[in-house]
Amino acid sequence: MKDDLELIRKLQNQDSYALSKVYDLYSGALYGVILRMCKDESLAQDLLQETFMKIWQKSHTYNPDKGKFFTWSYRIARNITLNALRKKNVLIQNEDLSVYKDRSTSEEKEILGLDGSLKKLEPHHQRALELVYFNGLTHREAHEEMDVPLGTFKSYIKQALKKLRESYKEELLIVWIIIEMMR
Amino acid sequence: MMDRNTIKDTGILEQYLLGELSEEQSIEIENILKEDKELREYFSKMEDDMEQMALENAITPPVHIKTAILNEVENPSLIGKEKVIISQARKKVSYNFAIAASLATLFLLSSGWLYNQWKNTERTMITLQQETNDLRNRLVNLEDNYKETDKWYQAINQPEVVQLILKGNEKSPNSAAIAYVNHQNKEVILNPKGLSKLKNDKTYQMWADVDGEMINMGVISANQEMITMKYIENAASLNITIEPVGGNDHPTVEQLISNVYL
Repeated sequence: MKDDLELIRKLQNQDSYALSKVYDLYSGALYGVILRMCKDESLAQDLLQETFMKIWQKSHTYNPDKGKFFTWSYRIARNITLNALRKKNVLIQNEDLSVYKDRSTSEEKEILGLDGSLKKLEPHHQRALELVYFNGLTHREAHEEMDVPLGTFKSYIKQALKKLRESYKEELLIVWIIIEMMR
Repeated sequence: MMDRNTIKDTGILEQYLLGELSEEQSIEIENILKEDKELREYFSKMEDDMEQMALENAITPPVHIKTAILNEVENPSLIGKEKVIISQARKKVSYNFAIAASLATLFLLSSGWLYNQWKNTERTMITLQQETNDLRNRLVNLEDNYKETDKWYQAINQPEVVQLILKGNEKSPNSAAIAYVNHQNKEVILNPKGLSKLKNDKTYQMWADVDGEMINMGVISANQEMITMKYIENAASLNITIEPVGGNDHPTVEQLISNVYL
């Protein structure tokens, strides 16, 4: 999974075709994160648009030496969404709190259910990654949410990532075997 | 400054990746990463995993978002009025989308209908083809039959052909065969249909009597309408005997069932 540096350079030179390509590559992954954080489709759509506008406007500040392009984009999406939720929370606190609480019905959970190798992890590992990555909680908020000490929570994340890595390796191996067999 | 293992253990890299850290902390981590190649690789793998996880959990956003973003990027002067324009664009987009969707539905339905029609036609074609083959086969059979019949008919329906009835004697009273003898073409054709059925190990055989000697004219195979027998010169009479299957060299005279003089 190497970044296409040529594509990113074009984006930094304000090539709208490059933006379109970047959108095709990452909009689904980013929308998955945003929608899981705010659990509100119409808001998530606005935030996704805002995210890509920011990616477009700030692309010159991205430095490939510091990390992958997706990590950088993910942080933008997460910050925009957290800010929007904070604003919304202030508004909602003046109205009816239950509106916000009722949002995560079981039906929505099914639609927003997690997929891929993440699903194969043990529930507490899965939950830990979900909280920090897809729900945008900080480690501090998340360990309280899960009701475990911060140190334990951090080790959850670490173990979860390790397991994830192993399962990706396994998948790669299987793909490699299939490719070898097809030759 | 923290050492490599402490950094790995504290989970601060994860927090850095997620964007949880303050700007100061982030810069500190970035500086550490810049110095430490191994740690940078460790972080890069973590990034890969997180990206993979996000891609696996991707949700496709509605199409109009992309259109709106590209519109906005290509007409930056409109940014000031973005809210109004976006909502209008969205309406327009959803209107266009509705048209496209209904066209697509129409197309889908008509393709379905055409597909059905095509399948029906295909079925009819196959049936027709089978019928044609069937008819062709029947025609070939009929033609063969006709040719066969015509051959026999031509052979026996001639003025020089003598027709002889071989009636069964007391040994086989219900038997009768018809022999057609053509002395000019030296041909003998026999219609054995009237001969009584024999056991499986027996057969009828035909003989010509020449100067008191019986000469083989051939075995009369069962279930045939017309058989060509050997023509024997100067035969005085035609005789039919019952012989073991495969025929005999000499006639079993006791088993003579019919004879006729020429």
